[in-house]
Amino acid sequence: MTEEFLVAKDLRKRFGDVPAVDGVSFTIRRQEIFGLLGPNGAGKTTIIRMLSTTLEPDAGGIEIGGRSVAEDSVGVRALIGVCPQELALYPELSARDNLVFFGRMAGLGSRQAKEAAAENLELVGLLDRAKDAVRKFSGGMKRRVNLAAALMSRPHLLFLDEPTVGIDPQSRNHIFETILRLRSEGMSVLYTTHYMEEADRLCSRIGVIDHGRLISLGTPAELKSAIGPPDEVTLEQVFLNLTGRNLRD
Amino acid sequence: MLVLRQTLLIAAKDTKVFLKDPFGVAFALLFPLMFILGFSLALRNIAPEDEQLAITVATREQEGLSHRIINLLTEDELLGAVVMPYDAAVRAVEEEEIGGFVAFPADFTSGLTEGRPTKLEVVARAGDPELEAALMGFARSVASSSSNTRIALAAIAQIAGPAALPRDAASFGRGGSLLSFETEQVGPVEAFNAANFTVPGYLTMYVFFAAAMGARAIMRERVNYTLERLMSNGARRESVVAGKYLGALYLGAIQLAVLWGAGLLAFGIHLGVSPAAVIVVSALMVLTSAAFGVMLASLVHTEASASSAAVLASLLLAPIGGCWWPLFITPEWMQSLAKLTPHGWANTAFNKLMLFGAEGGDVLVEMAALAAFGLAFLVVALVRFRLSPGGP
Ligand SMILES: Nc1ncnc2c1ncn2[C@@H]1O[C@H](COP(=O)(O)OP(=O)(O)O)[C@@H](O)[C@H]1O
Ligand SMILES: [Mg+2]
Repeated sequence: MTEEFLVAKDLRKRFGDVPAVDGVSFTIRRQEIFGLLGPNGAGKTTIIRMLSTTLEPDAGGIEIGGRSVAEDSVGVRALIGVCPQELALYPELSARDNLVFFGRMAGLGSRQAKEAAAENLELVGLLDRAKDAVRKFSGGMKRRVNLAAALMSRPHLLFLDEPTVGIDPQSRNHIFETILRLRSEGMSVLYTTHYMEEADRLCSRIGVIDHGRLISLGTPAELKSAIGPPDEVTLEQVFLNLTGRNLRD
Repeated sequence: MLVLRQTLLIAAKDTKVFLKDPFGVAFALLFPLMFILGFSLALRNIAPEDEQLAITVATREQEGLSHRIINLLTEDELLGAVVMPYDAAVRAVEEEEIGGFVAFPADFTSGLTEGRPTKLEVVARAGDPELEAALMGFARSVASSSSNTRIALAAIAQIAGPAALPRDAASFGRGGSLLSFETEQVGPVEAFNAANFTVPGYLTMYVFFAAAMGARAIMRERVNYTLERLMSNGARRESVVAGKYLGALYLGAIQLAVLWGAGLLAFGIHLGVSPAAVIVVSALMVLTSAAFGVMLASLVHTEASASSAAVLASLLLAPIGGCWWPLFITPEWMQSLAKLTPHGWANTAFNKLMLFGAEGGDVLVEMAALAAFGLAFLVVALVRFRLSPGGP
């Protein structure tokens, strides 16, 4: 078994004239939380879509768990779970019905799917709201259901695309705790964000991405020490130093 | 197996989602019922007074079946047929007193009883297409395997006893009837119950409308990435297309059950001599409309464009296809235009079956045309459908 669970080599994707992803390579180790940090439009979502088999790269290669995305997308899909940036849920249906449906589509039997739905709702702290329509949930609760849905296929590698955008601190903490717990149970995670503090707190390694290019890669401490003593520098300053711009611009 | 399982799961989920949307349910089921009720009442009030065309009939036989049939027809108050001697009827047409008439030939009785083909004669003044169409429709309904044919059979039996019936009485009314009629055009024999026209008309319109609006729901799933989530979850593209299609079929089946049920129970419609054929035509309309919805979703890029295309198509095709007024009262160019729409074929078939007494065999062309539309829509949908924006 190799140390690397995901290997992405020289990924490229253009949308018309826009080079959304322009030669990105990185690896994700087993049981690692790997962060992709970059402003809006940097190319984070496009990278996740290519890694998760829903968007074909113009060039480059991806291997996940030793399986090639290009040649064995079915095999790869069995290993991954995706929590998309959008709330990819059916608002009219209950949290439980949403999860059961996604679980069954991923191949679980009816009983298995119900059990897994209860487990995952428990994990994100929403078991008591299982029967309520998702439409009635707060933004943060919807985000938690969105995450729970990604866990229904019991993935080895979880893609989390900005899972904390615009939510309350309670839901955010819940999501952080869930991610850390999943990692401790053996899961690898790709986490994208444009919040420095999140990347700093969760990730063992961070790739800084801007205009579709990976402009720096390392542990939070390594990134910071490039410009000064790690405990005095913020990732905000790292980004400013790398690009001459503020991350939030 | 995998595709079938996923297809069924998606269709079941879609039905669940649909039933939780009160507006969607109202739109697919209550709207058409409201229109049917409104227009049936409106038409009921005008039809008997001034809309009815008087049908003149004549016979060249001295005695025999035609007299018996004419008696039955003229006794029927609603039909309001008028009988005239043949020569007087010809003169009346020449002097423009009447627009035309239908005549039984001199060999009518002997032809029928001896199993020889015989022809009805339609005499019509040029320049009154509406009456001409009415006469042709009338003649056809007598000639075809209609309730009128059964009148004829009953008349034969009454006069001469069952032994006098043609050798194969059962085949009497079928496509190759002994009694034929020269023109294929179907015209209006008065629709006694306006609901016999409005129910299938609005059923056709709303089956199509609801299915077309299904495109919006599919777009919403593409835009909010649930389709993409399904894909990364292991769902096949074909499962999604088939699941969406099957879900739309479930909805259409619910519409058929409710609208035909209401038509029969509340509006007293009559499905004609071949109720099964009426159901088959409506089922084909569901199959074709559902295919249109999935095709639409495979062609547009946003939820809003799916929505406006669905509304536009539905509101445009309904009148062109004869959902709002009967096609047979429209000019010929409009009847030709109607052939470009699935609605036109469905309504023509419904009118033939429910108003003019046609049998299943008489609407095979319409059925085939509907199926062809559906097949074409499905092919486009299968080729063009994408699960994610810009993706496979
Ligand atoms: N389907 C698409 N069609 C056209 N352009 C796209 C599409 N998806 C993304 N882009 C463009 O690619 C770039 C990267 O987008 P994205 O990957 O969504 O960035 P991020 O997730 O980091 O905010 C942006 O310029 C965006 O406008
Ligand atoms: Mg993004």
